[in-house]
Amino acid sequence: MKRSLLILVNFFVVLLSDFNVHAQGNENIWFDGLSRSYFVRDAIDKSTINDTLSPHNRSNGYNLLDLNTHVNPIKDIEIMAQLRIRNSFGSFFGSGTEINVRQLRAKGVINDKIRFSVGDLFLKQTKFTLFNYDEELSGYENEMLKPYRDIIHYENFYTQNRWRLQGIQTDFSFKFDRYIRNLSFDFFVTRPSGSSQINETTYSSDLLLSGGSIFSEISRKLTFSANYINLYEVAPSGTNNISVRNPVQGISLLHHFGNEKYRFEQSLQSGFSKRYWLYSELENGISDSTSNETKGMYFELNNKLFMKDSTLTLTGGYRYVDPNFRSSGAQTKRIDYAYTNGKTIYPRYTNMSLVRPTSLFDLISDEKLYNQDLSSTLMPFNPIYSNILTYGDATPNRSGVFMKARLTNKNKKYLAKLNGGLFKEVIGQGTAEKRNFGLFKGAVKINFHKWLNLKNELSFSFSSESELTKRGGDAVSSIDLYTHQLSMFVNAELAKNFFVQASFKQFNANGNEFLTQRNNFGNITYFTSVQEIDQKDHLLSAGILYKFRENVYASLNYSWWGAKFSDQPDYKYNRLLLILSLEL
Amino acid sequence: MKIKTKLILSLIMLLFLHSCTKEEFEGPSIDILYGDFELIEPLTLTSKNPNFSNNEKVGFSCEFNKPVEWKITILGLSTNAKREITGLSNLIDPNVTKWNGAPSQLPFFQEEVCAIELTFENEIDTLRDTLTINSSKTFDDGIWVENFENGIPSEGIVYYKSDGGGMTFTLANDDPLLGSSYFKMGGRVNWDWALGSIDLPININNISQSSNEIYINIGILSDLVDLHLGQFINILISEETDTPFNDNANNNASDLFESTMEVYKMKVPVDWDGWQMKSFKYSDFEPLSPNDPNINFNMNPNDISAIRIACQACPSAGAQENCPENFGKDVRTDIDHIIFTSNSSLLDQ
Repeated sequence: MKRSLLILVNFFVVLLSDFNVHAQGNENIWFDGLSRSYFVRDAIDKSTINDTLSPHNRSNGYNLLDLNTHVNPIKDIEIMAQLRIRNSFGSFFGSGTEINVRQLRAKGVINDKIRFSVGDLFLKQTKFTLFNYDEELSGYENEMLKPYRDIIHYENFYTQNRWRLQGIQTDFSFKFDRYIRNLSFDFFVTRPSGSSQINETTYSSDLLLSGGSIFSEISRKLTFSANYINLYEVAPSGTNNISVRNPVQGISLLHHFGNEKYRFEQSLQSGFSKRYWLYSELENGISDSTSNETKGMYFELNNKLFMKDSTLTLTGGYRYVDPNFRSSGAQTKRIDYAYTNGKTIYPRYTNMSLVRPTSLFDLISDEKLYNQDLSSTLMPFNPIYSNILTYGDATPNRSGVFMKARLTNKNKKYLAKLNGGLFKEVIGQGTAEKRNFGLFKGAVKINFHKWLNLKNELSFSFSSESELTKRGGDAVSSIDLYTHQLSMFVNAELAKNFFVQASFKQFNANGNEFLTQRNNFGNITYFTSVQEIDQKDHLLSAGILYKFRENVYASLNYSWWGAKFSDQPDYKYNRLLLILSLEL
Repeated sequence: MKIKTKLILSLIMLLFLHSCTKEEFEGPSIDILYGDFELIEPLTLTSKNPNFSNNEKVGFSCEFNKPVEWKITILGLSTNAKREITGLSNLIDPNVTKWNGAPSQLPFFQEEVCAIELTFENEIDTLRDTLTINSSKTFDDGIWVENFENGIPSEGIVYYKSDGGGMTFTLANDDPLLGSSYFKMGGRVNWDWALGSIDLPININNISQSSNEIYINIGILSDLVDLHLGQFINILISEETDTPFNDNANNNASDLFESTMEVYKMKVPVDWDGWQMKSFKYSDFEPLSPNDPNINFNMNPNDISAIRIACQACPSAGAQENCPENFGKDVRTDIDHIIFTSNSSLLDQ
């Protein structure tokens, strides 16, 4: 892959040099991108932690420029190369400076009919086939912590719930004058990961993801779509004779009606998945065999009402996801809990050099905890941060009802959001008793400047997010876990585009749960009992923000954060953060 | 259009009902995992009077209600020889959990009564039984290198620093590992690493096992009386096939261990009291000259042509003084029962 990239880079460099002269005359080359200066200084709160092994404070940062060069050699083709120049603070004359090609893509239209893209693709289908779900605790993020979230998303290529993959994609459509209005097709083949050396004599296989969608507007009020996706390994590209296969098919119908005041949408979607491992026995002259085969399905009915003046949006529905439904493209998590030991900020603490447990602030600020690779098995998770829709709407073994609401008035003096759900396991885990789940999230933003007719913004935001998990039965297997996140945020515009901000977040988890252990084939092998969950995370921040324009800002803030545990030492840290971010 | 919609809806509902999971629950039972430990089937042995000399094996069986870490301990009541077999399961299968009559480490079991205990991690239950060994295991299943029963092989080359103090490097019969003879290697050479060595030719060009499947086993004797803390044995195995074993008769050593040849090495620190049986997978040996581009280190057991077992110790005086605390201390790394085995170590055969 690296070699291919180098060839592509060279190809584009030649193209660039050729078209530079041309561009000056025809404006066939244009640039955009992002520049960021980032500086943090972290410090231990010595009053809480007995830690003489870690430095009392440490600082680091960097300047980076991501320059996107777009070349249009001809009208219907565009080539984009994103070049990153990153210089860590404290390095000079090339030392500590990195120059990377971060993205490469060519796209175009053949004969005004067929669109294509080659290189880095950002792909999404339905929420059950290919979808990059938002990470935990990010539902009602306040603006003060948005720079952290923006960096995590940008650095991990999280764009509009799409997965960044490398491959080729094409789409085209037809219009009809009878029976159906139009028919669109979209196909892609990508390689999420290539063959790599595991040890001296073993190589993993290439992992490929291919799929397609068909979308048809049957009438003005009814649309139909079908999606197919398959994650599979190509066994001959490695030394293992075992390879995973995970095809998922889904169909959906969308029906809508309304008048000049409102619009009502009903969607119905369902599909199947299959996952198995194929054993190739060609060398031994035996026919291929399969193992660990699972089949599952999903079903969702969704009803959405929204007023055309945007004052009210109301959603409600029912969802069933089979315990054996497996969709790598939709169930891969952003946070990789298997590697949360590699935290950037003080990974170890206390004089016993304990691995510091993950906290709310780590999830908000540490881009290295996040994952960009699709996983063919369900990834581990932490039930205190998400136990109900752990893998988004595609979480297996769930059935239940959900609702969402968004309410505002015409002057936008306030904005209220509600999100709730009542779910139940389809079958129990480790016991015939099933878990029952309750999800209640609410957020409100009050724009005082609109109430008071102030010229500059003055707003207050508040959100509360709770998850409740219960399972009855005997004392050994019963579960009672309650988690709650509280968030408050004040934003005051003292002068034009100059804001003073303060934010407080608190996260509590109490109760007990069982952590699920799975083997390499995703089968549950053990349940680890965690009987005394009692964790309290906090994050208090205050700072200033200056917005030069949309997506160009400078932010300086100070945070006090930490966590309390029942079974290990507490910790507290402080952080000073300075960001200058410019979208070119 | 309405008919179309209904048709599609009906189809979806049919598929939905068809593929609902019908299992009772996922994964192992929590009630069993975290419930009280219960014995379902008692501990039984497939033989109470095994003849290990006939390669008989004793199988163990037992069943409990949940997966636990279990340990079977077999203790020879005369020799104090001990063997431990461990596992994590809810079933001990006699076809899988078998004892071949060998100890985990020396001494060997003799014809004696053995006490057997089955214990469980974090549980107080202990199951006990006994067996009587009718005939003890003979450890000669393999490809012999040397057991010294017929003296030092005539083609073998023994070399030692004759100006050292108390140099042994000779056959002895006072404390053999098995049989009646063993080879003593020891003495006192304060100023140098090397004390001496024994080189033996090997011809095993008819074996089919790979380097991952071949083990070299060697019994090593030491003692803790004024122990030299830096003593070790260096095992060199040569795959040189073009040079005669003793090409130069004047250099007191085989000529198959030059740094320009395909030679592999293993260092064995010796810091225990009494005999121990050490076993090494051949593929764990390292090339002697890994940076020499002219040598193809392809490790083929068929090509093994010689073995050198060298006695060495950290110098305690002179130009190479690295371990002054060992000055005047005797080195002892006696050897016996050198044998290649296939697929597992000698004690696991």
